[in-house]
Amino acid sequence: MTSRELMLAAIRAARPAPVERPDVRAAVAGLPLQADAVRSFIEAAEAAAARVLEGRRAELATMIATAYPAMGRQVSAMPALDAGAMAELPHSFADTEVFVCEAVLGVTENGAVWLPLSRLRHRSALFLAANVIVVLDRARIVGNLHDAYAAIDVAADGFGVFVSGPSKTADIEQALVIGAHGAKSLTILLLEE
Amino acid sequence: MTVALFAPCYVDQLYPQVAIAALRVLERLGVKVDVPSGAPCCGQPPSNAGFERLGEPALHAFVKTFAKYERTIVLSGSCALHVRTHAPQLGVAGAHVAARTVEFCSFLHDAIGIERVASLGATCSRRVAVHIGCHGLRGLGLASPSELQVGRFDKVRALLGTVRGLTFANLARPDECCGFGGSFAVVEPAVSAKMGRDRLRDYDGGNADMVVSTDVSCLMHLEGLARRDGVALPMMHVAEVLAMSAR
Amino acid sequence: MSGAARSLPVVHSAPVDHAAAAAAFNANEARVDWHDAALWFVREKRDRAVEEVPEWELLRELASNIKEHTLSRLDEYLVAFESAATANGAIVHWARDAEEHNRIVHDILVSRKVRHLVKSKSMLTEECGLNAYLEERGVDVVDTDLGERIVQLRREHPSHIVMPAIHLTKEEIGETFAEHLGTPAGLSDPTELTAAARVHLREKFLAAHAALTGVNFALADTGGIIVCTNEGNADLGMALAPIHIASMGIEKVIPGANELAVFLRMLARSATGQRLTVYTSHVHRPREGQELHIVIVDNGRSEQLGRKDFWRSLKCIRCAACINSCPVYRRSGGYSYGATVSGPIGSVLTPGIDLHKYAALPFASTLCGSCTAVCPVKIDLDAQLYRWRQIVVDAGLVSVTKQLVARAGGRVLASRRLVAVGSMLFRSMLRAFPARLLRRLAGAWGRDRELPVPPRESFSAWYRRERGDGHDVA
Repeated sequence: MTSRELMLAAIRAARPAPVERPDVRAAVAGLPLQADAVRSFIEAAEAAAARVLEGRRAELATMIATAYPAMGRQVSAMPALDAGAMAELPHSFADTEVFVCEAVLGVTENGAVWLPLSRLRHRSALFLAANVIVVLDRARIVGNLHDAYAAIDVAADGFGVFVSGPSKTADIEQALVIGAHGAKSLTILLLEE
Repeated sequence: MTVALFAPCYVDQLYPQVAIAALRVLERLGVKVDVPSGAPCCGQPPSNAGFERLGEPALHAFVKTFAKYERTIVLSGSCALHVRTHAPQLGVAGAHVAARTVEFCSFLHDAIGIERVASLGATCSRRVAVHIGCHGLRGLGLASPSELQVGRFDKVRALLGTVRGLTFANLARPDECCGFGGSFAVVEPAVSAKMGRDRLRDYDGGNADMVVSTDVSCLMHLEGLARRDGVALPMMHVAEVLAMSAR
Repeated sequence: MSGAARSLPVVHSAPVDHAAAAAAFNANEARVDWHDAALWFVREKRDRAVEEVPEWELLRELASNIKEHTLSRLDEYLVAFESAATANGAIVHWARDAEEHNRIVHDILVSRKVRHLVKSKSMLTEECGLNAYLEERGVDVVDTDLGERIVQLRREHPSHIVMPAIHLTKEEIGETFAEHLGTPAGLSDPTELTAAARVHLREKFLAAHAALTGVNFALADTGGIIVCTNEGNADLGMALAPIHIASMGIEKVIPGANELAVFLRMLARSATGQRLTVYTSHVHRPREGQELHIVIVDNGRSEQLGRKDFWRSLKCIRCAACINSCPVYRRSGGYSYGATVSGPIGSVLTPGIDLHKYAALPFASTLCGSCTAVCPVKIDLDAQLYRWRQIVVDAGLVSVTKQLVARAGGRVLASRRLVAVGSMLFRSMLRAFPARLLRRLAGAWGRDRELPVPPRESFSAWYRRERGDGHDVA
């Protein structure tokens, strides 16, 4: 018998008496949400050390330029702002100063944004870039993670990530350091159309 | 309601004043209390040390002795929890007694009520550090533990709140374990002593001039440490404080 | 319970003496205070995060039920996961034990000529001793989580499952970096040290032939794996390297994304007090041009699943809230447990793996219940610790002292007359014990504490005298 067969047989023999599957959606329906979803989203994002700037979509290019005036290599996953070819090796984004992308939605309870691969075009750019700008339509902010998962198809693009804030660590004496291996800064451009 | 009082073995032997105070408090509250003999111990100490079977005879004796009472009041959160958790495993009689076994403070709070307790007119002008033994706290629900997201409540503080002149010391860690833990105290003496000394330091930081607890076993440990360090900090069971009144 | 003891493997490794290690740890009181304060700080952050979630207790109940349901049909969920993951293009492997896991990983690396492997945090691979196994066979393994890299450079093991270097001061870390990364001697500022590590590890990510990650959750319905980090190290590994290997314990599978939401809302809040980790990556397919391997590992988990009193320990999501909350762990340190996973959860998992070696761990506790109260998936940790104590005693693995204490105590405590009998001097149940044992116990007690002052008469004697005793024991 293969290891697979032996393992499954062992589990089958060992498993406890059946426990009913809870109805998660029913259990979390009607949970209290923040009164001002956008305000709360901004607070949560800032608590995760993200910077949040508000504006209108028509001003997007200006907002980006203002956010990072002296930038080196900028890479954008957004068709409207395509500043360089995206069909490159994952490693080639190592010198990226600023990476721009647009999130599908934001989550009030934790200030996170959902970025599936179709919004990133390359996974590595998001993590190699020194600074990340995430564009988000303020009308696309949902309450909690239950709402978020109800609104997205988690498997659709083969890769997707919730990002809340720039990378960080507290591994040295619990001192919070912003900027570990991923982005050293994360700016959310919260837009109204 | 027929009520019995159970003084844990170490209370009976080493801190009789606690049981005497409890008896007096109950009687002044109009509760007629029996103190049957026949059960010197609930069996918790050997059970928690891993010798459950050796603790069973004591638990059987407890069940037999208290079978006929509608309430058995236990002067210890640890002992009450042990009976409530393990006596049902002995059978129907055990389950019967377990359901009717209550810790002293919860009896006063739930069955007697704060207003009647206040009528005792207890007086104690001390700034008190309250220590609810962990088993009573997390096992019996004597107060809302700091870990849980439940509405805040504290039966012990409510009882002590009826005592004139008594104020509460603010503690940095209101419900951290004192480190007694039964056999733990002798099996892991370094950590046990450190945990107790840290409690004492917290009491000092809160300017407490008395420690009041639901469990004398915790106090035995804390008092032992305090006296070794030359610290004179009076420690009493809740019953003793409620018994303090100008008569 | 003796049935469970008979089924346990007989492995005679040197027993972990938690009490002795804890005593040594406590020799430096300032250090203990520092360690305790550091971990309590994390517990307080957890409390603040939890307070924000009014439905927290409902989530705990839900999370517990999801895990218990899943474990009760674990084989079905693993088969579903494998099927979906394979359809996504992942290659799924099954490993019965640590040795097989290590061999599978090594075989993948050898067949693809991998010499440089980057790893993100995986307690499972620690448990399997993967690093040493690979290094012995000529693979360069770099742990990329900052805390893990620090302990790797120091040739130490992580002392905590979430914060591997919590036991180290910044000065000690600075010394390590000066030695291995060439940072200036005496540099101890965390920001500057982290910046140095970023540069050092960035090279490793870019040069890696393969990346190995753990798995926080595996989704059965869509075949995806979820990896949570704050540093972005797992993502850099898996986004760059042409081979991604993900190691997961069998208990990591959950039904799907609806259930995932519940756990994600609780994991970071419980672990560090954050609302969510910085990166929560959902990997369903390998990146373009990449191979994705998923290794599903048993290594004693199915055996634990079969233990009626202990299977609930498999609900664990490795948040370490129990560890941070444990007053004993905070004052004894992770190394005193002698196991990858320490603290309360470690003390209910390890005796099932090696009872002889870990017999002392269930006793490294006052049964205060803080761990149980803080566990996001409601593992009955204190009840399991109690049950393991019974098994350890039944297996005869408890010290002679404790056996004598309990045996004499049990006999004495059942009879009121025996308890009452004794001299006037020292009224205690301990009177029945042999003098040499009493001295040893009194010694253990008396090392730090004064003994209680015996009163003139016991309560029962007082009651008999004052009130008459109509219920005399025969």
